[in-house]
Amino acid sequence: MSTQVDRDWFYRHNGKKIEIYRLKRGESKVRTDGVLSSGADELIYPDETITNGLRIEYTAFINPFVSSDPESTKDSANSAVTAPEETTHVNLNRMLGLAIVSYIRAMLAEAAGDIQKKEYYMRDFFKKISDNESNKRNVSISSAIGPFAVR
Amino acid sequence: MTVLELMERSGSDNTNLTIAWIKDAVNLIQSNTKHDLKTETITITENTKSYEPAADLMAIDNISILDTQADQYKRIRRLAFPPTVTVDNSP
Repeated sequence: MSTQVDRDWFYRHNGKKIEIYRLKRGESKVRTDGVLSSGADELIYPDETITNGLRIEYTAFINPFVSSDPESTKDSANSAVTAPEETTHVNLNRMLGLAIVSYIRAMLAEAAGDIQKKEYYMRDFFKKISDNESNKRNVSISSAIGPFAVR
Repeated sequence: MTVLELMERSGSDNTNLTIAWIKDAVNLIQSNTKHDLKTETITITENTKSYEPAADLMAIDNISILDTQADQYKRIRRLAFPPTVTVDNSP
């Protein structure tokens, strides 16, 4: 039975694989001279089988193209399109759609050999992605006004 | 936005190439942000340390282990360095 997994279990990336280790706490032993000695902790392989025991949350290439407008259709109600055409919708909101416009412009500039223009549009692409991320977080910052400040 | 609208806005006239660039851009978005997360569960086997994640994995957000006593998944920490192996199973 696995307990305290957040304290005793660890993972490590190794190439394409994920390695799982469990921390085995050192066991105390009584030596022949009667002194209590504590053993060292060690990392061991999982010592039990746990059905669906490992859960990985990750980003993936999930349905980039859908049949209906993602801004007017719920994601669960939208169906994926595997062979996209000109009429197919891109499964992104408007801000990320505009980011993709910048990306395509950057690629067109690169194909035309204009690297400066490409860099400009790539910067615009990443700026729009970060704008989209910051739209999800509203943070208010307040600071104290000094007692002698002009009001 | 439709593929056609993206083509018109960017001035591209090649549909197949534009679709390929859209896929690249979505890849970049997913690599840099958590726009869409997927979850996968794998059975942990006794005495087995290596597990293969899904083939479509781009970036790991978090890894959890099932605490069978509490019946909850709990996030685990990442080892920054390989541990010293004293006893190993045959590969």
